Parts: sequence; C-alpha cells; structure tokens
Amino acid sequence: MGDPLISIDRLARHYSVGGEVVRALDGVSFDIQAGEWVAIVGQSGSGKSTLMNLLGCLDTATSGTYRLNGADVETLSDDQLADLRNKEIGFIFQTFQLLPRASALANVELPLVYRGISRKERRATAEQALRSVGLGNRMHHRPNELSGGQRQRVAIARALVGDPSLLLADEPTGNLDSQTGEEIIRLFGDLNARGHTIILVTHEPKLAARCPRAIKLMDGRVLGDGPGAEVAALQGPRAVGT
Amino acid sequence: MRRAWQRTVSEWVEGLRIALSSLAANHLRTFLTTLGIVIGVMTVIAIVAIIDGLNASFATQIGNLGTHTLYVDKWQWINTRDDWWSMRNRKNMGRTELEAIEREATEALAVAPMAGRSVTVAAGAEELSGIRCTGTNQRYLETGGGSVAAGRFLGPTDVELSRSVVVLGADVADRLFPKVALDEVLGKRVRVRGAPFTVIGVMARRGRMLGMDLDTNVTIPFTTFLRDMGGKRSITIAVTSAPGRLSQLEDELVGILRRARRVPPEKPDDFSMNRQDQFLKLYNQLTGALYGVAVGVGLITLVVGGIGIMNIMLVSVTERTREIGVRRALGARKRTILLQFLIESSVVAALGGAVGTGLGLGVAVFVALVSPLAAAVTPGAVALGLGFSALVGLLFGIWPAWRAANLDPVEALRYE
Repeated sequence: MGDPLISIDRLARHYSVGGEVVRALDGVSFDIQAGEWVAIVGQSGSGKSTLMNLLGCLDTATSGTYRLNGADVETLSDDQLADLRNKEIGFIFQTFQLLPRASALANVELPLVYRGISRKERRATAEQALRSVGLGNRMHHRPNELSGGQRQRVAIARALVGDPSLLLADEPTGNLDSQTGEEIIRLFGDLNARGHTIILVTHEPKLAARCPRAIKLMDGRVLGDGPGAEVAALQGPRAVGT
Repeated sequence: MRRAWQRTVSEWVEGLRIALSSLAANHLRTFLTTLGIVIGVMTVIAIVAIIDGLNASFATQIGNLGTHTLYVDKWQWINTRDDWWSMRNRKNMGRTELEAIEREATEALAVAPMAGRSVTVAAGAEELSGIRCTGTNQRYLETGGGSVAAGRFLGPTDVELSRSVVVLGADVADRLFPKVALDEVLGKRVRVRGAPFTVIGVMARRGRMLGMDLDTNVTIPFTTFLRDMGGKRSITIAVTSAPGRLSQLEDELVGILRRARRVPPEKPDDFSMNRQDQFLKLYNQLTGALYGVAVGVGLITLVVGGIGIMNIMLVSVTERTREIGVRRALGARKRTILLQFLIESSVVAALGGAVGTGLGLGVAVFVALVSPLAAAVTPGAVALGLGFSALVGLLFGIWPAWRAANLDPVEALRYE
C-alpha cells in the first residue's frame, strides 16, 4: 500500500464558548486509502461535523496534523485552502446547497469557474458529470424545478465535476425519503466501484453498516474503526438509543 | 500563468453575471437603491451643463471686447471697491489724454477714442430713439470694434474734417430702411440728434454683450461728435497692444496718463484700465461659486446614495450568506467573493450614474429650450457623473464586500 490519501494524527479542535473550552474533537487519528468508502458515524455532538469541516479544509485544527494527498493542511494559507477544496474535495451536503437562481448546469460548472477552465470546456465537463448521475435531460432546470433526489444528484455531479480525490458527503440522504435515499446510496456504491474515495458522514448506524468501513465517534474521540457492520453496532458507555 | 489569467477572467465574468442576475432578480430594490445616485448625478450633470453653457455664451459675448485691448476710462467698469464717489470726482478723460497716448505710447498698435451718448436717429418718417452714438476714429475696428458689412468705415479725413458721416449698426439700418438692400442704404441721409448725416457704411451684426445690444448703434467721427453731441463728456480710449504685450502697454500707459493728467507722485492713479479678462475673472468667480455649490449638493446626494447602496449590499450579503459558504466550499477565494460584491455595488451605482447622466442632460436641454439659459453638454461632465457614481459604488461597497469575503465558510454554510 502506498501513502494514504488521508492521514490524520491526534487531530483536535477546541472551541471556547463563554470562557469554557469545548473539546469538539479531542485527538483523533486514522488513515484513509484512496478508493475507500468510509462512514464517519456518531450521534449529534460526537464531533463528526467538526471532523467533516476539518477534512473538508473548511476549518483548521487546534492541534494535530492532517495530510491530504501529500499536503500538510495545517500549513496552508486561506487561498491555498480554497484551491485545495477546489481541486481535491467534492462536497455533498444534506441540504444540497445548490444556488437557487442558477440552472443545474451552471451549478455544476461552478467549481470549474474557480479553477479557471474555459467556458467551452467547462460546459462539456459539466454536461458529462450530469449525464453520469442520470440527469442528462434536466440540465437547464433550476433547483426549484427538480425533485429532492434530482437536486442531490445535481449536487453529486457538482462534487464530481472537478475530478477530486475525495467525495465528502454530509448526511446526503437526510432530506430524502427512504426510496430516494436508497437510490443515492446505490449511486455512491457505483461511484466507489468506479474508484472514487468517499467519506460519508452520518448519524444513522444503518447507513454506516452498509459502508465497507466505518469510524465511530463519541465525545470527540474514536470509539471504533473497522468494517461498517461491526462498528455501526458499537454502543458507547453513554449511548442512549439510536 | 495562463491558468491564473484564465481564472481571473472567469472570476470577473462570473462576478458580473452574478451581479446582473441579482439585480434582475430584485427590480424594485435595485431601482430604489439607485435612486439616490440617480438624483445626485442628475443634479450635478444638469447644473454643470447649464453653467458650461453660460460660460460658453459669456465667452462669446465678452469676445466683443478686444482681447489685446485696454480700455482707458475715468470709470472702473467692474467696480470691486466701493469707491463710486471717488471715481465720480475724477477729472474727465478727453482729447489731452488721447493725444498724449497717440504721441507717446510705443507699445500701442492702435488707439481709438470712444465718446458716447444716447441719441435719436431718424430717416424720413422713421425715428429711433435710445440709439447709442459713438464718436471715434479710423482705428476703432482694430481695437475690437467689429467689422463693416457694406460700404466703408470712418477714414482719417472724415475725422480730420469733422465730416457729418455715419456708419449704421446692423439693427439701425434694418429698422430705418426695412426691405432696402444694404448697398442701397449707402449714401442715404439720416438725422442724428436732428443734424443731417450721410450713411457711408453698415456694420456687420455683432450680437449682444452683457445685455447690451451691439447692433443698435451708430458711429460717427470723433471730432464731429465733439462738435455736435457735446464735448464735455468723459471719453474712453481703446488702446490695442501686440499679442502678449498687454501688461507692458498698461505700464507704459500709466506713466503717460499720470503725466498728462498731472497726478502728483504720492497720489494714486485717477483713471482706470479696463480689460476683457477682468470680466472673465469676475464672471468665473460668480459661476465658480455656483459650480461649487452644485457639486457640493451633488456630492452630498451621492454620499446619501452611497449609504443606500451600502445598506442594500449588507442586506444582500446577509441574504446570500449560504451562497457565499457554498462558493467558498467549492473553491472561491476570499478575494473572489470580495470582487463579486464589489462588482455588484459598482454596477448598481454605475447604472444609477448612467440613468442620472441621461436625465441630467435631458433637464439641461429642456432648460435650454424653455429659458434663455444655454446648456452645453461636455464629455467631461458625463465622464464626471459616471466616474463619480462608480467610485461611490466601489467605496461604499468595500465594507459589505469585505464582510462577505471574511465570513467563516463553516458558519456561512450552516446559516439559516
């Protein structure tokens, strides 16, 4: 095995809220290889959102190290982080986060705009990405003219369009009915089979159980790291229900 | 390198696209926001256009005074000091001074006396009153006195022999001899203040100067004037210099006049040198003040408009917090976001500036049509209006754009 795609070591993120230090993430370490499909699972307050923001280079850690595709994220400037997000990471959000006034195609083109790709090439690439998620016939619709599942597909196309090394999905099925959610998860399976590295952040153990690997967080620490089905079933000492 | 350039271009194009689509999405809000800028620019453009028009018309009028001519007079034409009485008590200007200047002034190219009074001019049953009668000599035209349209001007012999000949102003010729060709007017007999005169020429039309009609006058030989119209009046002496030698001429004339008028060394001059640029100076002072007030009012309105733009941009930033978060997540740098909002505020302001410029020019043209005020549309005024409004948009857009650029992407994405 070569260098891991993601390598984090004793990563911590502390906030001070009203003079009190909240250890949202308190020393987390793991590696993720290229081509893996990993769920980060945990309940609300477990630190998974904080971890996702760090992995997505939207936030920087208080201490510890994070290497993404060979780059030491902690040492990068704000502009370099923006460029890193643009090239290495494809975000998929629970609420889709599409621009309401732009067509599906324009939404998908956006990452390429910030990369300085010519208009023609941008359009062709974005059309290709939309076709690959099965939306070849919805390119010029605006988000409010699309169903929830279609919107999430647009968002996935937008995440894919820049050919990033990592897809980072935050509760991608949270706003979808179970059948549509199922389609999206199957789409992730396809994408993973095609070689994409996927990190799926979720609070649902059932979803995590379907991933080849899961990392369970609790109170800002790793509770378990292993095959999805096993880790998802882990119960922490203070876990209450699901 | 090429990539970086391409990226900059895409950022600008994207910024412009976002700005336009955001403006289009909020018609009413855009309109109301730009109203302040529109009114400000409109005010400035209209007033500047009208003042420029006045300036141009004034410059033309004042051009009737010779550019290189000094008008030596008992009176200061533009009385800046309140010494009317002291001027009233000055000795009259007369032949002595005229002859002294003609004899001694080496800087003078042409010297012409100008004696004047209001007279009645008649021909047949036609009688015109309130006509300005000027007594002068053959050099008068060289001092900036206009030109002859028909016949000839006064000659040296006319003056020497005190002939009863007259050159008619364009209006006087028209009114005394309506429907008569100019050449036919020559040789006609007219009565000036009752005395018979022969018409030898008709002046070309000159227009107005400072409310004075320069075409309702008659010109007769200086000597004839002194004989028939009264010789006690104070006269004006027009003296022309070579181009650029006006001050040398003035210095020389002061010496000649002080000697001719026997002014003791310790006393101030008891005469005045009038020149065209004094009028221009006074005029520019007056319109300059008006200019200042107009531009001041316009600037205040622009600042108010700018605050309006800042306000609406802050609203816009708040409304689009999540959009900003998304863009940051997808790889927009801070300065990309900054640029996006700066473009938006500048476009709003420049749009207002363009509309305001159009309206301002409309107002100026309208004023010019319905009133005697002139209006001149100068490219400078238009550039001023557009430039200033875009600048206002830029300045007042900085803070909202800076706030947008410095939003924490995590917070922005979570914003409800």
